[in-house]
Amino acid sequence: MNTQEIITLAEGIVQQWDWATEVSHPRPNQLDVHVKLLKELVPIVVGLRVKRLGYLCAIVGIDLGPEANEMEVLYHFCPGDVLIALRVRVPRQDGTVPSLSEVIPSAEVFERELHEMFGIEITGLRNTERLYLPESWPEGLYPLCKDFNPASLTDHAGEN
Amino acid sequence: MEAKNNVTDEVVKGLKTWARANSPWVLHFNSGSCNGCDIEILSTLTPRYDMERMGVKLQASPRHADILLCTGAVTRQARERLVRIYQQMADPKFVIAIGSCALSGGVFEGCYNVMGGIDQVIPVDAYIPGCPPRPDAIIDGVVKLLNSLLPPGSQIRSAFPIHDQTPAKVVSK
Amino acid sequence: MPESNAPIRFTIPIGPQHPALKEPGHFQFTVDGEVVTSAYVRLGYAHRGIEKAAEQRSWIQNLYLIERICGICSHIHALAYCLAVENLAHVEAPPRAQAIRTVVAELERIHSHFLWIGVSAHEAGFETLFMYSWRDRETVMDLLEGLTGNRVNYSANLLGGVKFDIDQAQADSIRKGLDFLEERTRHYLDVISHDSTFLQRTRGIGVMTSAQAEVMGAVGPTARASNVKRDLRVEAPYAAYKAFPVQMVLDTRGDLEARFEVRLKELFESFRLIRQILDALPEGELAVRLPRRIPAGETVVRLEAPRGEVYYFVKSAGADKPERLKVRTPTICNLTSVIRLAVGHQLADVPMILAGIDPCFSCNDRMVQVRDTKNDSQKLMTWEQLRQHGIDFYRSNGK
Repeated sequence: MNTQEIITLAEGIVQQWDWATEVSHPRPNQLDVHVKLLKELVPIVVGLRVKRLGYLCAIVGIDLGPEANEMEVLYHFCPGDVLIALRVRVPRQDGTVPSLSEVIPSAEVFERELHEMFGIEITGLRNTERLYLPESWPEGLYPLCKDFNPASLTDHAGEN
Repeated sequence: MEAKNNVTDEVVKGLKTWARANSPWVLHFNSGSCNGCDIEILSTLTPRYDMERMGVKLQASPRHADILLCTGAVTRQARERLVRIYQQMADPKFVIAIGSCALSGGVFEGCYNVMGGIDQVIPVDAYIPGCPPRPDAIIDGVVKLLNSLLPPGSQIRSAFPIHDQTPAKVVSK
Repeated sequence: MPESNAPIRFTIPIGPQHPALKEPGHFQFTVDGEVVTSAYVRLGYAHRGIEKAAEQRSWIQNLYLIERICGICSHIHALAYCLAVENLAHVEAPPRAQAIRTVVAELERIHSHFLWIGVSAHEAGFETLFMYSWRDRETVMDLLEGLTGNRVNYSANLLGGVKFDIDQAQADSIRKGLDFLEERTRHYLDVISHDSTFLQRTRGIGVMTSAQAEVMGAVGPTARASNVKRDLRVEAPYAAYKAFPVQMVLDTRGDLEARFEVRLKELFESFRLIRQILDALPEGELAVRLPRRIPAGETVVRLEAPRGEVYYFVKSAGADKPERLKVRTPTICNLTSVIRLAVGHQLADVPMILAGIDPCFSCNDRMVQVRDTKNDSQKLMTWEQLRQHGIDFYRSNGK
């Protein structure tokens, strides 16, 4: 399948079953899918997987900041040179997304990282241990949130 | 009797120093580096540089090591292990910080998970700058440290020409 | 209640605790005698906080930060970052720059694979192969130093192009170096496919089927050795790979031997490609200028690092610093597969199974916790000791 065929196929999948999705085409080889209802995320992913449309390259968390009061999570699936981005929005405090790890085992490490960096809960994720942050890292402190400033940590020098 | 014992002590001490300086056992620890410095340290063991012919032996256990070669800016996770290794080494022991990150945190200075250099955690005896330092520079730094342990006149000659202005710095105690 | 005849296995907490066990081991294996029944990897030892740091540095400052994510594949990271920023700025580096970037990327692949074969040989106890391959690797280090000024951290990239040109004399010395390296690669390929003690450690070990590789999200040579057709240079060509294509090197066996062969065989493609580019280097400038503020937008760049796919997501809000930078390295993808592969294998095979994915973390000081449910024991080993265990096991059980 060429680029256009892949995109057309993907569009067809994400728009079936009356799913609450909105699509856009930021670039010729890119499909953005805004998933409005979180409970539809996993079924949409299953739909893409059944058609073998790419593998999960990454899960990206973005803190849109205190003014927008939202965070965005991007799920990137890449068949060949095509980029399919499933995009969901969650509130900045106590945001949750469903886990993909039952469908895609390799999602587990990405989701652990998403949680420890942004504080987003991943429902259904079995292994919730920290991935990169040390055990001594304080609870409730999420490094990639916009209001965290590394300079505020006081233990950089001299603590043995 | 006393005078004789003093002479023996001096000789034994001199021998120990000579042995340590001429055949140091070295432990390598990566405290969270990008591996750049580590692969240049490993290169010193390979045929072109061959640090082993100068008697430097890479050890796996802290208890047998004289010198600790450290790379990396010290991540929080590595910090505890670094301290533990330092405590397990027997005196006298020496620490060499290799590379910009080990010196000051390098480009990672100020990052949230980084302590900012080896001397933020344990005492350091010599600094070898570079990003990464070449194997020649690493050997030069190790030799400089060893020479500082020996009385003047019996210093080791490295196989590489050592200029007075090489960047490796030994901290005087 | 039906009775089960299978032995019940559970982990028995052993006390008093060894003081060193308070710290997390890099690796934890539960074994039943010699067979691994579960495996766990603890990461974070090299976690520095780069993504956060990138939001606080300018676009140019980040180039120097990104180059130092990994000392072994520094160039590919910098290249990914530059391509991403150039995408956002709607700018393309000139063809000569892209070609030079590609030459350095392939030279880096060569150095990385030679490094890896030496390290893998060391894991199996083949010290001679380690020494020889690292001696040979000095040739490609010299080429890179002659071209870029540094053995590691080549810093070849600028936002918008490259910092230096390749002249006739350099091209000739590269060709000469490649001839030597190609001959050595042929020798190593011969060794690993015929040496019986080496094959004992690799043939039929760590088998991952095509389907498993797909499900576990494997990338790079690890995936290609299981016949999964993933190679960004072919699927989504970047830099000069459109003008100078490469062939994907695949293997259907999916075992450790296949992983070794795929890496060595793809070096021949690298040698061929570099020569082809040097013979037909496009004319033109070395760089174009980029604005200090990069236009708002998002972009994703995926490149083929020596270990597999490296993924960069960059978002700009129109400022002089990035809004968000996400880096996903290939090793995190391949690690999942290693953990699952280890289960069912002997503990003695673990060092080689890990070497087979060419992991991008330091080979020193990895503490390994081993819980033996058969003998009710628990111990903490250094990686050295685990390595030696593997070597001794095969020496005593060998042919």
